[in-house]
Amino acid sequence: MSKLKTSKFGLGLAAGAMALGLSTAGIAGGHTDGFNGIGANITEKAVEPWDISVFYDGTNLPEGSGTVEAGQNPYDAKCAMCHGAFGEGAEGYPKMAADSMPAFIESLKQGLDGVGNRGVNNAWGHAPTLFDMIKRHMPFYAPGTMSVDESYAVTCYVLNLGGIVPMDFTCSDETLADVDMPARDYYVTDTRPDVANERCMSDCYDYEPKVVGAVVTGVSE
Amino acid sequence: MSETTLDQTPQSDAREGVASSDRRKFLRKSVALAASGAAAAAAGNAYADDVKLDTVTEPLEINPTRNILGRGVVSVPYGMPSKFEKNVVRRNVSWLTADTVASISFTPWQDLNGIITPNGLHFERHHAGAVDVDPENHQLVIHGMVDKPMVFSMEDLKRMPSHTAIHFLECPANGAMEWRGVQMDSMQFTHGMMSCSEWTGVKITDLMEYVGVDPKSTWFYAEGADGSALQRSIPMEGAKDQFGEPLPADQCELYKDAMIAYAQNGEALRPENGYPIRFLLPGCEANMSIKWLRRIKFVDKPLVTYQETRHYIEPLPDGTIRQFSLVNETNSVINYPCPDYQMQGKGAYEIRGIAWSGRGKIAHVDVSVDGGKNWQEAELVQPVMSKCVTKFKLPFEWNGDEHLIMSRATDETGYVQPTLMQLRNVRGTNSIYHKNSIQAWKIEKTGEVKNVQIENF
Repeated sequence: MSKLKTSKFGLGLAAGAMALGLSTAGIAGGHTDGFNGIGANITEKAVEPWDISVFYDGTNLPEGSGTVEAGQNPYDAKCAMCHGAFGEGAEGYPKMAADSMPAFIESLKQGLDGVGNRGVNNAWGHAPTLFDMIKRHMPFYAPGTMSVDESYAVTCYVLNLGGIVPMDFTCSDETLADVDMPARDYYVTDTRPDVANERCMSDCYDYEPKVVGAVVTGVSE
Repeated sequence: MSETTLDQTPQSDAREGVASSDRRKFLRKSVALAASGAAAAAAGNAYADDVKLDTVTEPLEINPTRNILGRGVVSVPYGMPSKFEKNVVRRNVSWLTADTVASISFTPWQDLNGIITPNGLHFERHHAGAVDVDPENHQLVIHGMVDKPMVFSMEDLKRMPSHTAIHFLECPANGAMEWRGVQMDSMQFTHGMMSCSEWTGVKITDLMEYVGVDPKSTWFYAEGADGSALQRSIPMEGAKDQFGEPLPADQCELYKDAMIAYAQNGEALRPENGYPIRFLLPGCEANMSIKWLRRIKFVDKPLVTYQETRHYIEPLPDGTIRQFSLVNETNSVINYPCPDYQMQGKGAYEIRGIAWSGRGKIAHVDVSVDGGKNWQEAELVQPVMSKCVTKFKLPFEWNGDEHLIMSRATDETGYVQPTLMQLRNVRGTNSIYHKNSIQAWKIEKTGEVKNVQIENF
């Protein structure tokens, strides 16, 4: 689009051009009319460097492999400072190996803190997405910098810390989808609303309210 | 006037490392002053039999700004709030996360008086820090089960038919620190993981038509260009979970409101909120509104990403783990009065608050000042829009007694905001996310306002 000059002379010229018969034929009608000529086509081949997402069932796992043993050095060097040498986590950083599935479920039923106790062995449904997370986002301070094989190896090491695969296991695009994750069958898709309050307007209850005050009266305290 | 100004300094100043107990004593002292003086003057004469108004007899001082020249235009090329508003800022909770690059900050709703969150106060949630994406080089790819895989520049997106709407974004962890028990004596920290903006961009349904999405595609996912390359799966008609169970029909329609947003409150998105483009999925947990968006792929099953299997899930007391809890259900809170400020003396107040629902418009907000025994319908302030913050207000006379004040919103689907006890009965206290229960504040006789929970309500 040409830029209109803001001098009187320039504006006059532009107005004159309109009077002389600029086309109004370009005013578009429906929705996708407004897209004509915009953007570029792209081949799936060209998208490949970005198309890294791995599905829960292993679809799109890249070709490669890594053993539990091969994962130890990179894990110790790049992961253990946050997630612990044994996957036990650290202040504010998640555990890799936490309570077993039965113990985790029991803690939920008892209202104990199950959340700080999430690990790959109790709150992760599918091993391929563990690889995806590690390859995509780890190590935390240099995300996405591990090779495919190194990521398989670290995945394998973490799965072993969680007691999910044996020491001699090899994680690869061939094996990962079949790893039996303890939490896999515990997931249930949301069906909220799960509570039904009523819009009571008066005399809604007749007991003494049990009032509990805040324990933190200011964040620095 | 000076007493009043001091009173309005929030308790949260203490959070910034100022010696907190001294500060608090100072505040209390100034409240006592205010109760007998300036604040009573501001409260009006509604309680004439109980509250005496002062009479000002000293001749007024000339304003210190009357005899000087102020700043010239563009002395501040991008305007900033008054220096007297420096306490109105986003804050974080240092012990909540190990590192600020994978953390969250909170919007100071206690200081806001509209439905729009100023861009510099929009809450932040990063998984690998905020990045500076150069719009000249940034591209959006749309591919997968489509007739025409395509790539768009930022200028391409701006040529397309635009869509503008005002929507809230809310982290599903809003209120999470209060699940297990009452904890934060500040409205900023109980409800600040939510912000509301006018968004402009391109509707996903328009783009879908342009690239020709295969009708057999039942999910798509969006992915960011930051270090976390955050990705979330979004269901469409016919979507099934990884067990082959169909998702509820209403969840499969949520995407129809979605857009690729490039503008926030009329200007470009802020880097912390996804500049130059973000996915925007109104009404849903904001983790799905992928920032620094680089790619959308149409597929026929969910990814079940880290975010969907380990992070944004809700372990329930029956031993199941709830997944794909996409919608932020109806919520509301009183932001005046609230624990971040003290009462300013007996007499008239206007209780004000905000309500929002991920399922549509707010239909009613009721307010109780007696702990939920009796309720009165508040006035909704126009405009009332779908998946958008709605303001409400109700006159209130404070006679110096203790009160438990709370708000309860109902949305256009008839869903009534639950009590905390109702939520805990179903979800226990380990589910972290989607806590939308009625929030009670206690007004003490001293004028202090406290965050409380009523365990049997």
